[in-house]
Amino acid sequence: MPKMTGHAKNQGGFTAVMKQMSKNKAAMLGLLILSAEIILAILAPYIIPYDYSFMDMANMFAKPSASHLFGCDDMGRDIFSRVLFGARYSISIGIIAVAIGSVIGCTIGAIAGYFGGQVDNLIMRFLDIIQAIPGMLLMIVISAVLGPGYFNTIVALSIGSISGMARMLRAQMLKERENEYIEAAQSINCSKFRIITSHLLPNCISPMIVSATMGVAQTITMAAGLSFIGLGVQPPIPEWGAMLSAARQFIRQAPHLVYFPGLAIAVTVLALNLLGDGLRDALDPKLKN
Amino acid sequence: MLKYVLKRLIWMIPIVLGVAILVFIMMTFCPGKPEEIILGPSATETELAAKRLELGLDDPIVLRLGRYMSDVFIHFDLGKSWLTNVDITSSIKERLPRTLMLTVTTLFISVGIGIPLGVIAAIKQNKWQDSLCMVLALIGVAIPNFWLALLLVLQFSVKLNWLPALGIGTGLAGIKFYILPAISGSTGGLASCARQTRSAMLDVIRADYITTARSKGVPERDVILKHALKNSLIPIITVMGTMFGHFLGGAMIIETIFAIPGMGTYIIGAVNSRDYPIVQGGSIFLAITFSFCMLIVDLLYAMVDPRIKAQYASGRKKRKVKANA
Repeated sequence: MPKMTGHAKNQGGFTAVMKQMSKNKAAMLGLLILSAEIILAILAPYIIPYDYSFMDMANMFAKPSASHLFGCDDMGRDIFSRVLFGARYSISIGIIAVAIGSVIGCTIGAIAGYFGGQVDNLIMRFLDIIQAIPGMLLMIVISAVLGPGYFNTIVALSIGSISGMARMLRAQMLKERENEYIEAAQSINCSKFRIITSHLLPNCISPMIVSATMGVAQTITMAAGLSFIGLGVQPPIPEWGAMLSAARQFIRQAPHLVYFPGLAIAVTVLALNLLGDGLRDALDPKLKN
Repeated sequence: MLKYVLKRLIWMIPIVLGVAILVFIMMTFCPGKPEEIILGPSATETELAAKRLELGLDDPIVLRLGRYMSDVFIHFDLGKSWLTNVDITSSIKERLPRTLMLTVTTLFISVGIGIPLGVIAAIKQNKWQDSLCMVLALIGVAIPNFWLALLLVLQFSVKLNWLPALGIGTGLAGIKFYILPAISGSTGGLASCARQTRSAMLDVIRADYITTARSKGVPERDVILKHALKNSLIPIITVMGTMFGHFLGGAMIIETIFAIPGMGTYIIGAVNSRDYPIVQGGSIFLAITFSFCMLIVDLLYAMVDPRIKAQYASGRKKRKVKANA
């Protein structure tokens, strides 16, 4: 019976998933890296050796050394401190944007998926239009409208992630809606809101969690890309993409400026992907191979 | 089949209209006054007003939208750049092939390396080859393409001086200008292609008909390529479709890094200079390109899977069956 399995999974919830995942070494490594990064990002102001905007012209383009672990940039700023502080911006943009996008996307997807008919048709046609625009182009146009900056980048990226989420939840809903327990809920005169929120959503949520995890990774890369072309977070804020963008012009004389911000993005995205894979295996054993 | 293609082509019309309206409306909300950017800071109040009148910026938005839509979809005229007065359609004609060249090369690299990697990983499941391929795939997903682009430029252009770091060339010599951009754009797609191939192959490889093929003495090579791979192509093609969109978008950043005068540099430049007609026209063209590719993907489904082809072909038959039932 679908309801039983769904219910049991939810009851076990977090601990069951964690138990399942703890057997997966790669996923645990991802979780470990990510937790370490988040803790470092939160503690960044207390542990960075130099202020991230402190300019020391004597150390312009200094190579990595004991006093400057990752070296210094074109204005003599300590790159290690900047990368560490930048984690606050890059990671928070990814998480907040996906969170907002998921909530709005899931609401739209749930409405389309549950009500079907004309409502569904209207929503889906609108999403068709949005999805006909390649993702990065859409981001560029939205950031052009909103203007650059930290908050605007978050808004742009969350708008960008809505359509994918909505589509996915709708597909899940359509599948789940046909189950008998939904008919049962309807027959005892359960309200639509209640059916959606307490019956359908919990049973559709696993793939959404996985795709949100992967989405954070993708969003971090996209945010860095936007900043890289000058439409996202602006310097002197040490967002990783913005740092790479500034480092680009010095690639000949000081390649180490390019290494570390990019490496930070890559490690974060890698950790999120490992975690996402692990979550998928833990949440849905059917998909595992 | 033809009917299906026609239906899809007709369906593209409202989509493209929708994209045009959406982008037009978004651009009108852009901060910054275009006439000030065009004329520069020294322009007088009267000059600015004259420019506004010339560009029709004082008209209500509905009127401007109507005018734009009729220009584009009735007269097929995307207008001229506000800044340089160059015809946009001809600029796009010149630039779109470069972006397509980059995107298609990227796609070929991803598929050409991704599928073999996935097949090897699936055949050697849980052996070291599998782990190696999957670790490579993970790294491919994780590396941001603009960072890889910088690293490749550093290695192959700055240090080794093998390949050009910027611009485009003509004729056969032009190919080498696309090598680094295409490689740096392809890693993400390559990785997802490898992973998708692996999981699709693993689904298929234990199927009964594979055992049958083996037992009747089909060479292992043919079992893998003709029986297993062919049947796992559907999910791979699906990934390719989404990948194309990513590449088309990703090409915009890659073009900026390698200074390729394609659609990406065109649109990003126009966004920065508030040259709205270019952003609108460029978006319409990219949306059309993207929609065409999705159509091709759907047609590819039919090509690799006779069952889907039968579905497309037998619209009438199916209805008959339904009626009989």
